[in-house]
Order: sequence, then structure tokens, then C-alpha cells
Amino acid sequence: MKKKPLITGIIFTTLAWITTGIPLKPTPMTLPIPAGWPAPKYDTRQNPLTVEGFVLGRKLFYDQRLSRDSTLSCASCHQQFGAFATFDHPLSHGIGNTLTTRNAPALQNLAWQEAYMWDGGINHLDLQPLAPLTAPNEMGETLADVLHRLQHDTSYQRLFKAAFGDTAITTQRFTKALSQYLIRLISADSKYDRVMQGKDTFLLPERLGYAIFQQKCSSCHREPLFTDGSYRNIGMPPDNTLNDYGRMRITGKKEDSLKFRVPSLRNVAITHPYGHDGRFFSLLNVFEHYRKSGMIPLSNFEIGQLTAFLNTLTDTSFLKNPLFAPPGYTITPVFIHRH
Amino acid sequence: MNIIQALLLIVLLDPVPHPLTIRFHNEVCNQPLHLDDQTYTNRFHEPFLILQCKYYIANILISDGKHEEQLPLQPHLVDQADSASLELHGQTTIAYPREIKFTIGVDSFYNIGGVRSGDLDPMLGMFWTWNTGYINARLEGLSDSAHAPAHRFTWDIGGYKAGQNTLRTITIPLPLSANAPALTPAAKSPGPTEILIHADLLHWFDGAHPIHLTRSPICHEPGPLAMQLADNYSTSFSCR
Repeated sequence: MKKKPLITGIIFTTLAWITTGIPLKPTPMTLPIPAGWPAPKYDTRQNPLTVEGFVLGRKLFYDQRLSRDSTLSCASCHQQFGAFATFDHPLSHGIGNTLTTRNAPALQNLAWQEAYMWDGGINHLDLQPLAPLTAPNEMGETLADVLHRLQHDTSYQRLFKAAFGDTAITTQRFTKALSQYLIRLISADSKYDRVMQGKDTFLLPERLGYAIFQQKCSSCHREPLFTDGSYRNIGMPPDNTLNDYGRMRITGKKEDSLKFRVPSLRNVAITHPYGHDGRFFSLLNVFEHYRKSGMIPLSNFEIGQLTAFLNTLTDTSFLKNPLFAPPGYTITPVFIHRH
Repeated sequence: MNIIQALLLIVLLDPVPHPLTIRFHNEVCNQPLHLDDQTYTNRFHEPFLILQCKYYIANILISDGKHEEQLPLQPHLVDQADSASLELHGQTTIAYPREIKFTIGVDSFYNIGGVRSGDLDPMLGMFWTWNTGYINARLEGLSDSAHAPAHRFTWDIGGYKAGQNTLRTITIPLPLSANAPALTPAAKSPGPTEILIHADLLHWFDGAHPIHLTRSPICHEPGPLAMQLADNYSTSFSCR
């Protein structure tokens, strides 16, 4: 009997909230920073991470209505089981039988990245989704049409209100919600990470491979993010149908010709194909390129040990994290991979 | 003079802000600009029709020769197709403005740090998504001299980094007529100030560098052509 006033109180508060429509404050969410990592580059003070914002961002990420003909979502080319790269497409597929000119990169640890795209042309994560959304050979939509569609969808009105306090759906909120989902895509729980934390040990080939890696690869693929964030020319001749000269298009400088961003090697075993245009089908092709071009001399033995080490960078708890799966699923459903 | 008297004097001398209107008048060779209607000719005898004319105005400074005042306005998009956008409204404490300064384009500050709203909303299309940055000014149209697809010329001028910067500062002395109501000696406080700025689009072709539609119908990225076009249109503004 003593509990009755409390329950009545809760009921009255709830009723008062429902009738007055004063929204509850969104629940803060923290951005986990793995031990030994530098401070993230993304400023969450400008976009405080909340559960509601993350949930909204995740829905947007998996929503095919963001494309002109409602066939593609962000997740069409960024599949969780492929570390949010495309599992087997060298070049990404756009709407209406189009192809892009580049391989979709893995989406992981984006809060630590300074610039986006293979050429680093985009200087802020919030701005990044606008490029694939509006490119005619990607999602082919206009920002105005997408926002109009969301503004007339009651489920989105509800989600925007929960995340931002009212139902206004603007470019800023749309992109901030997407960023809240994207910055949570953190991969830092591979076998390599566990070994570094003293919780696991390398097998012999993995250990030998790590030593070779540190000697021959880690100056560009710097730990712990496995990239130094720079742009480099690794001697891939330009394709005469793509005519992609990389970083030069952004800076206008001749010395940046054919330079592309150094990709992270986290989850590298499953992010094939490789290279900015996906020309390397397997890791073996990449090793062959370095070996034949003379950039990095590698023996067959070294290639074997390096492969063993690179496999330790696969983070299955990231690839199967139900938090990142589409709303209503615990794992990426097969239909995501149908185009 | 005691402190109270001094304070009173400061309060009395403190200039009262009064309304300020700045109006942009786009024209071609002293004739008002009509979109998609009239064919004009530039100095190189190239005919052209204009479909779009937009530019960002920012960092407005008003000065009377002694004091300079920055108007607390966000960057503003002037769009010939939207007549309301041709006027800016603010307030100034400068009673008798002799000079106006402004930039065509937005500061690098706005080109970093994510998605902006209002006139800077990327949704308005004055923005490059693939190479982050605002398009500071746009002139688009048709010309038989432009050997680009559909004879279109499309000039999008942007770029904010060193070596690609297209931000241009315009300084225009104001004629006495710019502030006629305030200039009567009997007036105790100045009336609303109106500044009419003419922008002659012919300068886009030859203001500083000769730029032919035949040779350069397309400008879609930061670089030398964008900077030359910025030099050109920065000479197009006047107040008479």
C-alpha cells in the first residue's frame, strides 16, 4: 500500500508529459576511446552523441529512400560484414546501371580521420554523406528531395524530435544524426588489440609477420589506426577509362598526381578488393604489386607471415555487433547485398 | 565635471543605431539584368543569355572616414531569381557613411567545421560536396560561342585554400546621394541609410583578365580560372 503514491506519481508525470508534449531529453551516449589511441578528431561538443541521435542515424544509414529510385542506401555499398566496405565490388554500383570510379572504403574509426574520400576532398564527416547522396552515379538524389521525403514521414518526425527536441528536419540535423551513427563504428577489438593489451598471444607466423610489418609497412600504415592519414603514390598506373589522378584534383598540385589516401589495414582480410579502384582482387595481388614494382621487396616467406599477421586485424565483434545492424535486425540481412 | 556628468555625456554621444538597407542591382551595360530573356554581348562580340546569377556577400564594413563598423550579419546569398535576396537589412551607428567594404564569398572559417544552415545550407547548391567548399559566385547561361554541351556556360567560382583563394574584398566610396535624408544640416538624427550597389556583369568577362566564352565556358573547380573570374567580377561593383 505504501508504494501506491509513487506509482500514482509516475502515472501522473507520464500523463502530464504526454498531454503537454514536452519531450524528454535525449540520453547521452559516450564515444568510447580505445586505450592508447590519440584523441578523436571529430568534435562531439558540436554534435553531442545521444542514443536517440544514434538510432536516427542508423535508420538513415539503412534507408533506401535516400536514393532517387529508392534502391540504394548507404549500407548498399557499406556492408557491416565487409567492415562497411563493399564485399566484392571493385567499383561501387550507383542507381540505374551506373558505376562509380572508386572502391567503397571501409567505414571504421571515422572519428579519427582528418579528411574523407580517397583524395581527402571532404574536410568534415558531417559533409561526407552529401557527396554520395547527390552524385548522379551513386544515389542520384537532391538534398531538398530527401529532406522533403523525411519531413513528410511521421516516423522520422518522431525520431528527429526525440534526438533534437523538435520535429524540424534540416540538412544540419540530418547529417549530424548520420555522423552520430558513423563515429560509433569503432573497430578496436581484433586479436592484434587483445595481444597488445596482454590478453592474448600471437601464433608464431603472426608474430613473425608483425615484425616484418613493423619493418616494411608501418611507416605508412601506422599503429594503432594502421594509417598515417597521408596521401601517397604507390605506383599504380592510371586507368584510361577512369582517369583518376587522386589528390591532384583537390589540391591542383602536380606533385599530388596519383596520390591516394593510405587506407587503414584494420579488417583488411575482408575488405577486398583493394586499391582506390579495386584493381587488386586479393591481398596476394597487393603484395605482388609492391614486390614487382620494387617498392617493397618481399620474399614468399615474408608474404606468408604478413598474411598471418594481417588476419589478426579482423575484428569479428565489430563485424557482428548487433548495435550496428539495420533497425529490427541483429545482423546484416542478405537483401542488403542484392544490387 | 564629475563622474555622473561624464557618464551622461558618453550616453548622449553614444550613436544611436539606425536602419540600413543595402540593395544590389545586377545589370549588363547599365541595363537591368533579365534572366532567360535578353541576349547580351560582351566585349569579345560573344552573345550570351543569363540563366542564373548568384553570389555570397559577407563581412560588410561601413565607414565614415573616422570610424569603421562591421555589420553583424551572416553571409548572405544574393540570387537574381529571388528579388527579396537582393536587399540586405541591418543597422548601423554610422550616421554619414562614406565608404562600404564587403567580400564576395565566404571566409575560410565557414568552409571548415561541417554543415551550416540558413543561406549557407549546402541544400542551396552553392556548395561543392566532392571537394568541400562554398561556391562563392555563380554565373550560368547560354551562348552560341560556348562550345560546351548544349552551348551552356557554367561558371562556379570557389576555392578557399592558399593558392586557390577566391575570396575578394570590394571597397566602394559612397556618393553623397547614398545618404541624402541624413545630410540636411537641420536633421538632429540621421534617417535610414540606403545604399544602392550596381553590379555590371560585363566585368565577369574582362574586369581584370580577358576570359572568352569560346575558350573557357566551364569553371567547376578551384584553381587558376576560378581565381581569374573572381578578379574579374570583383571589379563589377560600383555606387553612383
